[in-house]
Amino acid sequence: MKKFAILFVIPLFLLGCTDVQKIDTTNDTGKQVMSLDYRDFDQAASEMIQSLLSSGVLAKKDGSRYVVATSKVINDTMQRIDTDQLTSKIEEDLTNSGQVVMTSAVGSKSSRDETVYEMRDVRDSSKGEEFNQGTLPQKGQIVSPELSISGKIFQRNLPYDKKNQQVEYYFQLKITDIKTGLRFWQKEVLIGKRGSNKTVSW
Amino acid sequence: MKKIFLMLLFVLSAVILVGCNEPVDKRVNLVTGVNSSTLADNVLTRPVYGAFTLLAGYGIELKDVKVFRNEAGFMEIQVTGYNSAVYKKRFDYKVDWLDSNGIAVNSKANVWTTVSAKSRTVFYFKTVAPTKDVVDYRMNTRETPK
Repeated sequence: MKKFAILFVIPLFLLGCTDVQKIDTTNDTGKQVMSLDYRDFDQAASEMIQSLLSSGVLAKKDGSRYVVATSKVINDTMQRIDTDQLTSKIEEDLTNSGQVVMTSAVGSKSSRDETVYEMRDVRDSSKGEEFNQGTLPQKGQIVSPELSISGKIFQRNLPYDKKNQQVEYYFQLKITDIKTGLRFWQKEVLIGKRGSNKTVSW
Repeated sequence: MKKIFLMLLFVLSAVILVGCNEPVDKRVNLVTGVNSSTLADNVLTRPVYGAFTLLAGYGIELKDVKVFRNEAGFMEIQVTGYNSAVYKKRFDYKVDWLDSNGIAVNSKANVWTTVSAKSRTVFYFKTVAPTKDVVDYRMNTRETPK
């Protein structure tokens, strides 16, 4: 009976002591991990944004804003990554910079807003009669993007010494002028990590 | 006796020289640990540290801050520093951008960024404001977490 009580009570104490902490994402001094974490995406996005704003390629001569679509960013790492972790930060800052306006009409699946086309289907169907006709989107109103953002994230694993490995993550982004196909800007950010072979990077 | 006097004079002058650093730009805050070792904060070790830094170097020194607007109209700052220590130093910096009302402008690019400075060398880094509304800034530093 005594043994049973000990076996039952101790796990309860241990469960109660599980230490869960909320990450201080503004001033995180936590240890690095071999796989990609939010700090790596923050760093990559920050360098991309800085490079873009500094380059001046988004400054139109007439002062108006470029219409930009987000195309595909390929995840060629061994990890399951939602590449929106990178692109959404860049889209947010580019929009706030006042130099571009993002489009939700075309682009990668996650950057599109289905409602844009759903409302056009509604307009052309019998349901459209239920709507105030003046508020429905008309044909020829969608603005075509002028620039497109695309890219790739890939990973290389290398043996460093007997006990350690080196993992290199490459973030590559480029901006292409859709009309001419010319590439206006591109940037690569490398994030390298070294750690024990026991730690996995996927 | 003369030797002791000379040693004391050496330590005293080291302390005075270390304590006479006027900041180049008060908006750039080089915290303890970045600009010096924590030994410099200790009352007991400070004189010894002062003497040591005369030989070995103090740490990160701020040499110049250039503030300008790029072609697109965004404020950019270029910081010039010098690592006077005998070893490589890594530190992080983060910039708070302020508009004309003194309100901080939020940006995803506003993250701690690491700078690595080789010993006894000049280094540069540049950063750009997220909007054209920015007119001022504050830069904070910290030791890079291990």
